[in-house]
Amino acid sequence: MEALDPRTWLIEHGDYLFRMARRKLGSDAQAEDAVQETLLAALSARDRYAGSAAPRTWLTGILKHKIIDQIRRQGREVEIPRNEDGDEDYEALFKADGHWASPLREWHNPQHEAELAQLRIILLTCTDGLKPMMARVFSLREVIGLDTEEICKELNISSTNCWVLLHRARLFLRECLELNGFSEAAK
Amino acid sequence: MNLWVSCKEASELASRAMDTTLPLSNRLALKLHHSICANCTRFAVQLNVIRRLIKTDEASDTYEATLSPEAKRRIATELQKKLDS
Repeated sequence: MEALDPRTWLIEHGDYLFRMARRKLGSDAQAEDAVQETLLAALSARDRYAGSAAPRTWLTGILKHKIIDQIRRQGREVEIPRNEDGDEDYEALFKADGHWASPLREWHNPQHEAELAQLRIILLTCTDGLKPMMARVFSLREVIGLDTEEICKELNISSTNCWVLLHRARLFLRECLELNGFSEAAK
Repeated sequence: MNLWVSCKEASELASRAMDTTLPLSNRLALKLHHSICANCTRFAVQLNVIRRLIKTDEASDTYEATLSPEAKRRIATELQKKLDS
């Protein structure tokens, strides 16, 4: 049966899967790995493939999981100062006199689609590091596009609290992106 | 509000400016601060970069990338190994 022959998967769907993985992962090597893992996983699971979906749809479903695995594995490091309780201390990003505790690096302007894709992935993994409430506020604002008034109502928090959470989320993501994205690329 | 703000205050204003139109006094204070502070100018620019990265997430994939012949061979070999095992 055609659908069950792994060699035809590679020929007929390999490039399609590669493009999808590359768009999400931003690097050729990682995308190749994801395609390989997908086809190997599909081979192991082909007895369970009911044939109800088109092979490409079925393979795409497996690929999505492999992409998420890859992103997870890339876990980001962020250096937000900690207070004595071990909590993130956003105040400590500034000196007592209100100046930045350490200078901000100038970011280059990302031009190429592949580089933008890579930075997007880094940003995405950075958002995994946000405290749950910060992540919620940030994505309602930036991904869904609600204004702060709507967010306050939605989450039942004060507007001051909303501003603070948004600002801290941005401070966090800026640090994370600078450390993991723009420092390497600037070399 | 005082027209002379610290970096800490300026960063708060820059963040808030992403979500609302600031009152005139705040806008002036921010502008004045940015005219003398490279770090805070960068901060404001970078907030917009972050927003741009999120906004364009699903956009554009016109580039028709394909698996390289080497990658295809490698994957085919791995599949064959697994088939044979």
